[in-house]
Amino acid sequence: MIRSDAASLRYVDHGREVVACDAVSLEVQKGEFLGILGPSGSGKSSLLYLLSGLKSPTSGRVLVNDQDMGQMTDAERAKLRLSTFGFVFQQPFLLGYLSAVENALVGSSQRELDRAFPLFADLGLGEKMLRRPHELSGGEKQRVCVARAILGSPDVIFADEPTAALDHANGLAVVQLLNKHRGEGSLVMVTHDPTMLEAADRVLHLHEGRVERVETR
Amino acid sequence: MKIRSPLSADVYLRRNIGKTIPLVAVIVLAVLLISSIVALLNSIPLSIRTIYSSTAEYLGVTPRGDTSQTPLYIEDMKQNAPVPIERMVVCRASGCMVRSIVGPWPFVVLGLNREDAEFYLKRQKVEKLIGRMPESGKPEAVISEPVARNLKLKLGSNLQSPTNPDGYSPFPVKVVGIAQTDRWLMIGDIDYQKANHFPPVDLAMAYAATPDDQRKLDAWAVKHFKGKRAQIYTFAQLDKDTSKNFAVLYAILNVIIATLVVVITLMMGLLINIYQGQRLIEFGLLQALGFTKRQLIRRTILESAWFIAIGWILGIGMAYLALLGVKAKLMNPNAWALLAFDKMAFAYTVPVPIAILIVATFTVLLRFRKFDPVGVVERRLV
Repeated sequence: MIRSDAASLRYVDHGREVVACDAVSLEVQKGEFLGILGPSGSGKSSLLYLLSGLKSPTSGRVLVNDQDMGQMTDAERAKLRLSTFGFVFQQPFLLGYLSAVENALVGSSQRELDRAFPLFADLGLGEKMLRRPHELSGGEKQRVCVARAILGSPDVIFADEPTAALDHANGLAVVQLLNKHRGEGSLVMVTHDPTMLEAADRVLHLHEGRVERVETR
Repeated sequence: MKIRSPLSADVYLRRNIGKTIPLVAVIVLAVLLISSIVALLNSIPLSIRTIYSSTAEYLGVTPRGDTSQTPLYIEDMKQNAPVPIERMVVCRASGCMVRSIVGPWPFVVLGLNREDAEFYLKRQKVEKLIGRMPESGKPEAVISEPVARNLKLKLGSNLQSPTNPDGYSPFPVKVVGIAQTDRWLMIGDIDYQKANHFPPVDLAMAYAATPDDQRKLDAWAVKHFKGKRAQIYTFAQLDKDTSKNFAVLYAILNVIIATLVVVITLMMGLLINIYQGQRLIEFGLLQALGFTKRQLIRRTILESAWFIAIGWILGIGMAYLALLGVKAKLMNPNAWALLAFDKMAFAYTVPVPIAILIVATFTVLLRFRKFDPVGVVERRLV
């Protein structure tokens, strides 16, 4: 589904070269839950941005369904993200002027509205669909983000430390919901908390931009 | 159940009314200000054309420096005019000021005999005369309804009097008739004018049969009497002189309006830039989710086009209402001319939305030129 061949990401920060990812090769299988674990600064988020096309590798390549994302234009990569990927970021980014359900439908078609009702009920937001983000707690906001990622039925959901801004119980709930509702899609989740990856099929341990080991469950 | 597309331009504008209103309000005020200034300025030449519109019905010729020339000119016109002259009238005029928006303006009381006066009123499309015509040799006058309103006169009031510096006559000239027409008219008796007013100059009035012939006759007279000791009065000449006299004023107005448009556009550009700066998270998030730069730019420009169009239309509407109010409360009671729906004034406001849209588009393009969505989702840019 997604394959990285010796993908590296290097950049210069204040005159010093930073190697965020160093020749990472991996494959995300269809329908699997892949966890990427590592301490702060280990390159977890950078790897996620490479795999999802948010950043292009400075060397190596990333392929989606055998198509090299490096060969795509910005617009083609954007289209791919919108049609094939779903995202949950560390912060629960929502548009303040839209209701919870409208936020969840951003990027999805109107047809998904019918799916949104049972999904919101299952996410515990049945009564809060029409509330604005400022009327929701942090956990609720992140669940709306989960709904947004799920509603488009993406092939892959990328979750970048989705539990970082939540307490442990809320964080676990968000991960469980993501895992439950991803259907046949894959889930790639970055975290520094191993307890959030109990349901993962594989866990990549990252250290200083390199894959230290792969744990298969 | 159906919901409006969450990213529709109108959804953003309606849900962010606190930001939309100031943007719309600036445009409304700019359009209101510009169109009001232009419409009020336009009212001055329009007033000149309105007050003296009665001159479109005849060609006036007076001698210069030699009062004996009038009969010769009359004969000349009768013989050489390019179109048939329906009627030739001789009259005596005296001065009487009217009040304009910029102060007193000269007007004339035409001294005519009864038959000529009736012909004159008919030519001026008078529907009805309230009162009667002046009697021969008496200090009496007929005025039209706009003159009555302008000078606050009614039947029995004095149009001219020994104590009125703006309308002197040795005897009080009473208003004995008010003509129902939108033309500005003052008619007195020719014998009274001859006996009491100076200088003793006869004005020849030549009437052609049709408006088209009148224009031809006027144009001919201007050329024919050039260099001769005659003063020609035609509406076309008045119209031309008015345009010429106001050309400098309109040039100044253009500079003022252009400056105003630049200032307003810069202000709007600043405001739009601030508001867009507050939307970095939105832009970053949407781009990260997979919306292309082109889609986001198009959406943002569409939003700008929406509020600009709304502001301009509201501004035109408010300007129209304001001008209607000014017309009803200030202009009409004084019979001053003002176009509430002044197309030229509204045309002057067109650069406002265009300039703002250009600046808004430029601001958006600049904002997205090197925009990095990852910076937003990583919380580096916000």
